Amino acid sequence: MPLFEVQGLTVAYEGTDGSATRLADISFCLEAGRIYDLTGPSGAGKSMLLRACARMMPIERGRLLLDDAESSGFTCQEWRRRVCLVPQRASLVPGTIRDNLLLPWTLKVNRDRPAPSDAELEELLAAAALDAGLDRDAAKLSGGQAARVALVRAFATRPAVLLLDEVDAALDDASAQAVGDLTASLADARTTCLRIRHRPPDGRASTIYHLEAGRLSALPAKGGA
Amino acid sequence: MDGGVIDIGYPELFAASALMLVAGFVSWKLALGQEKNIITSALRAFVQLLAMGFLLIYLFRYQSWWLVLLVLLIMAICAAQIAVSRVKQQVQGLWPSIFASLLVSSMVIAFIVVEGVIQPDPWYSARQLLPIAGMALGNTMSATAVAIDRLFADMDSRADEMFSLIALGATPREAALPSIRAAVGAGILPTLSTMCAAGIVQIPGMMSGQILAGADPVIAAKYQIVVLLMMSAATTLAIVMISFLAFRKRFSAEGYFLDPALR
Repeated sequence: MPLFEVQGLTVAYEGTDGSATRLADISFCLEAGRIYDLTGPSGAGKSMLLRACARMMPIERGRLLLDDAESSGFTCQEWRRRVCLVPQRASLVPGTIRDNLLLPWTLKVNRDRPAPSDAELEELLAAAALDAGLDRDAAKLSGGQAARVALVRAFATRPAVLLLDEVDAALDDASAQAVGDLTASLADARTTCLRIRHRPPDGRASTIYHLEAGRLSALPAKGGA
Repeated sequence: MDGGVIDIGYPELFAASALMLVAGFVSWKLALGQEKNIITSALRAFVQLLAMGFLLIYLFRYQSWWLVLLVLLIMAICAAQIAVSRVKQQVQGLWPSIFASLLVSSMVIAFIVVEGVIQPDPWYSARQLLPIAGMALGNTMSATAVAIDRLFADMDSRADEMFSLIALGATPREAALPSIRAAVGAGILPTLSTMCAAGIVQIPGMMSGQILAGADPVIAAKYQIVVLLMMSAATTLAIVMISFLAFRKRFSAEGYFLDPALR
């Protein structure tokens, strides 16, 4: 049984520049603990598809299922905690790295969940090749470091599905490699990852979905988890 | 003269209108393009204040509770309309929220002050209730427009941060809270500045008016203190209400932030 399922999803989006994108009748499913890549030309609607999966844009038609449960059975906040989107321009809040990593636990949706310890957070930072201390001011981080802190923040919440929208776009090769390793370790811990990437395939994806002209097709992946 | 008040004759009043030529000259010289606005504003102040004066004479003579409340309601409707027109941000459907905030904050605080401190007889005395409620409305109206502008400008500048927060499972209120704090802070600042400057830099409007009307300056000061405290309370209540009512306009029913393309 798939962990996450999209059935007949139809969404439309009109950009501020007047460009219109429409995805019609998109269906796919993701297995638990696997990594999937989503490719396609610019403007094909990849980010839009991820936003729709996280219930962060209007959906005209279609069903989203997690563990065979309809998305309508969850509050939007509970759904987003389980199906977590890390946007391309992830933003940090004023404060230290610790403040940012613990931000999800200041939210009502995580009130009943124990926050990770400093040791766990430091371990995650190290796995993302970040040697900045937890007390460092987040405002002083470079763009690439900030992107990794945002990524680690989402990883730390241990969602069932992680939707990564070009999170390694601003990173150098070594950091992108570290983020790939971190994603793989999450997949080992049963988190499913759907990544939009513009880098060459890193061999971690079990399936590559290609989105073009409003149609989604599965391409054979080389290697994979 | 009438009871210590020096009346202004109509010829002198019309002559005073020439003072608006100062603003008109500046606008013309600096090419501000505000000449029409200056004339309209001056005419409105002239007509509206005189009309209010005649209305108050009628109300003081024939006052009844429903008539006084009706006038207060009309004043609140006009205040809401003016506040909406002052908001620079393009936000649809703000009128009901602004009206509710202005009406509740101004009327609750004005009634507390009038009935609790001044205690007129009858309780709906137009001579006390209308000026006090009017001052509360005027201040909250300006503060509300400032707070709304700050709220939406701050939310728009935090669009990426709010998107990230919503994606992590934040409710719209949790995502918007820093902007709500900024809006309340910005809205309350002018009233606090007025309170700090009162008695040193300026003699505030109500106290000046009472002194000009021949009242004891200490009594006038006591009234002014009550009015300043009332305006601070009414303003705070109004901007807190409007901020918590209005921030949802930037979120969908599903709780995601409406970026410009989704509005």
